Amino acid sequence: MRLWLGLALLAGPLAAQSARARLEGRVPGAAVPALDSLVQRAVAEGLPTEPLIQKALEGGAKQVTAPRIVAAVQLSLGQLRAARDLLIRAGDEPPVTPGEVTTVAWALRRDLPAPVVERVVAALPRPPRASAMHAVADLAAHRFDPDSAADLIIAAIGRGLVRERLLDVSAAAAHELQRGHTHAEALALVRQALPNVPASPKPTRSAVARARRPAAPPP
Amino acid sequence: MALIRRPVPSRARRLLRWLATPRSVTFRVRPVWSLAFAAVVAMLTLVPIGHEGPDIGEHEGIAQFVGRFPGAQSVHVVGSFNDWRPGSIALEDVDQDGLWRATVVLPTGAYEYMFVVDGERWVPDHLAERLVSDEFGRENSIVIVRPARR
Repeated sequence: MRLWLGLALLAGPLAAQSARARLEGRVPGAAVPALDSLVQRAVAEGLPTEPLIQKALEGGAKQVTAPRIVAAVQLSLGQLRAARDLLIRAGDEPPVTPGEVTTVAWALRRDLPAPVVERVVAALPRPPRASAMHAVADLAAHRFDPDSAADLIIAAIGRGLVRERLLDVSAAAAHELQRGHTHAEALALVRQALPNVPASPKPTRSAVARARRPAAPPP
Repeated sequence: MALIRRPVPSRARRLLRWLATPRSVTFRVRPVWSLAFAAVVAMLTLVPIGHEGPDIGEHEGIAQFVGRFPGAQSVHVVGSFNDWRPGSIALEDVDQDGLWRATVVLPTGAYEYMFVVDGERWVPDHLAERLVSDEFGRENSIVIVRPARR
């Protein structure tokens, strides 16, 4: 117990320290103290810090001004808090896992209404839920009604589909749209076919042969 | 006499007739070679990933980035998979047709990204179906990397 407590107490400052090291030289110097303080706040609240660091690095790479980077990271912190609250409201026991907070924050950023996200969380009591969230968001991006999209994905979960297979469900519905069906028809057709929706193709031999790992960052 | 007068069929017609006439063909194959041939065919068709290219881990997948940028001198893909560090993943226009491509091994997961053209122009991937506001006034594209070993 003491060991766990010690590790937990150490983890926070270490994360904050490594965040500062990652940000220095990559974002305007004027933004670093404010960003550091936001990261430390996230650590204190048990929220994931990686989305905040990524947002700051993104702003730095895009040569955005310091105040705009800080504002964007502040907004991200707010989204993470909202995601944590939603998870707890939907039935997850606190402390919620950082991965799930990130997933839900992303779903909200992709304009999924909070009640829809809550329904998906409740339908999938055991994480990971990232694929389910992206599947619903993909359907919503294809102008399916978010509630109906969530119904379809929840039905797919009920028929035993999990993880990446849920993305095949949204892809199948989008495919039916391309074939000229209305949104309602596409949903009905895919629901009827569950759980036998076509799987996405595996990477081809030539794609694997061409694939390269990203170059290591310069020292 | 009638037989003598019948015109000789052309070479093409004779070839066509030869091709169209059913013939019996006999193969003499040792069963062991048949089995070996079947095993090779099965291996080539059923095993999706060969040993060429990088070794791909259980939690890794392949992302393919494609963008049309005629006249560009360089195109890079930059995103949360490489800490938004320009320069680590270059796209190539092998055919010089303005279509730039990169095939990259990445850990499975969802990532936001943009293309950087000629080192300064940030462009979303218009072929990507998933877009999200970047909170800086533009839109990032989203790629979901699925495990290559399924």
